[in-house]
Amino acid sequence: MWDILQTPELERALLVAIIAGPIMGLLGTFITLRGMAFFSDAISHAALTGVGLGIALHLANDVYGPGMQLVLIVFCCLVGLMMAWLFERTSLRADTVIAFSYSGAVALGVILISQLKGYQSLEGVLFGEILFASSRDVWMILGLSVLVLAFLLLNMKALLLCVVHQDLARIAGIDIRKLNYLFVLLIALVIGFLLQQLGALLISGLIVIPAAASRMVATSFRQMLLLSAAFGLLAGVLGIAASAQLNLPTGPTIVLANVAFLIVAMALGAILGRGKLVRSGTSQLDRV
Amino acid sequence: MEADRKSYLNVENLNVSYKQNHVLEDISFRVERGQFVCVIGPNGGGKSTLLKALVGLLPIRSGIIRKEARNIGYVPQQLRIDAAVPLRVDEFLSLKLSKRRIWFGPGQTRTTAKKKLEEIGAAHLMNRQLSELSGGEFQRILIAYALLDNPDLLLLDEPMTGLDARGGMSFDGLLHHLNDHIGMTILMVSHDLHLVEHVSDQVLCINRSVHCHGPPDQVLQPENLSKAYGHLPGLVSGDGTEAFIPIGKLK
Repeated sequence: MWDILQTPELERALLVAIIAGPIMGLLGTFITLRGMAFFSDAISHAALTGVGLGIALHLANDVYGPGMQLVLIVFCCLVGLMMAWLFERTSLRADTVIAFSYSGAVALGVILISQLKGYQSLEGVLFGEILFASSRDVWMILGLSVLVLAFLLLNMKALLLCVVHQDLARIAGIDIRKLNYLFVLLIALVIGFLLQQLGALLISGLIVIPAAASRMVATSFRQMLLLSAAFGLLAGVLGIAASAQLNLPTGPTIVLANVAFLIVAMALGAILGRGKLVRSGTSQLDRV
Repeated sequence: MEADRKSYLNVENLNVSYKQNHVLEDISFRVERGQFVCVIGPNGGGKSTLLKALVGLLPIRSGIIRKEARNIGYVPQQLRIDAAVPLRVDEFLSLKLSKRRIWFGPGQTRTTAKKKLEEIGAAHLMNRQLSELSGGEFQRILIAYALLDNPDLLLLDEPMTGLDARGGMSFDGLLHHLNDHIGMTILMVSHDLHLVEHVSDQVLCINRSVHCHGPPDQVLQPENLSKAYGHLPGLVSGDGTEAFIPIGKLK
């Protein structure tokens, strides 16, 4: 199997998976605990507009080029900050803000791209292409991973305390508003950076699924973090190997590898009596 | 002057507004060292707001809050935590115990956490996840968290809400233990007038402003309560429902 991986493209793809997989798993843990899974989904889908704007304004012509990456990073950060501002300043529920931001941005992106004559490749943005990662991309992703890891390690106590009770966090001297905005920027940055490799439709799953799988079997927060990083890493590596072996699209295969981990974790969780979704006699749907 | 020296908390003419509404008007009272003071009043009367203003969670419009206590512990109103959060009790307590900026688990803070849990009879909960705890157990852990830095004054916001009768009774014992044996000064918001009658030295009855303040046998009188509540409240049972027993029968 490893012979198949001996091409520069696959080597770089593997490096991206090894570096980004655990980082997305770690970030996903906090995203799921804070109930922000759809937030990351909305940012990644809104990036379609970023692609359209990048091309229309002649800021970037190549979907996979460094110019487009910069446009996507800036656009994702702006969309993330806009949604965070709307959460804060309006009485609308978070899911409502996400729904109109998401569909509005996708609609605008599709219209923009449809007006660009001679430009047809939406597929690359939707599904990404990890095999097109350059050496520069690998280094950039490594730098991003160091930043994410440093942020999470330095703010782990604050992020966790906010999940338990915001008043306790405030009393502990945590500036919740600043932390929320920084966290939103971090999510947007990760999505903007990795969108070209992992795709607008898939990236959110790659962030959330390892965390969901780890929750099914974890008996502590520390365990959830470590398992989520491990699932992100293993699913990325196995997904790339499987896609090379079976000649399947790489991004979707990585997502399916993650889903396979989730199914196994759910089964294991059921056997071990852990990770139940319902603990108190009410179902998740009752909360909707 | 002697009374002033013993005072842990002195509130004078406190006014708190939320948006354009005056939630608290001219609140004045004092909590002395070792006292158990209960705050009662109707829903929306500003009881929780008072506690939040005292710990600095809400800005005050005017007035003076003089805190002589070195450390103030605060237990917010919360019944349970989302099942998606796998945080264990030892991990939660270590968020406060660990002085390192970079946190990655309870590590050596477990010993201190265990001692504190033993003090309040909750050592058996050490390795449980917060989301698995009952309402009463979770409240105990929130109290343990508040006690970690050895406060002189403990503020509790309706800790009995949602507890079943058994949980309520054991909780009653815990409050007695903290006040009588450890000598903790306590200011507690409660709807449970039966509990208030049993545990408190002083009762502060508020509905935006102070309606009455004094020992429980003076404050918990039908005429005082009906004035503050707008009707005569019944006793609140452990599950938070009114039991419709006139307060007068207690006396």
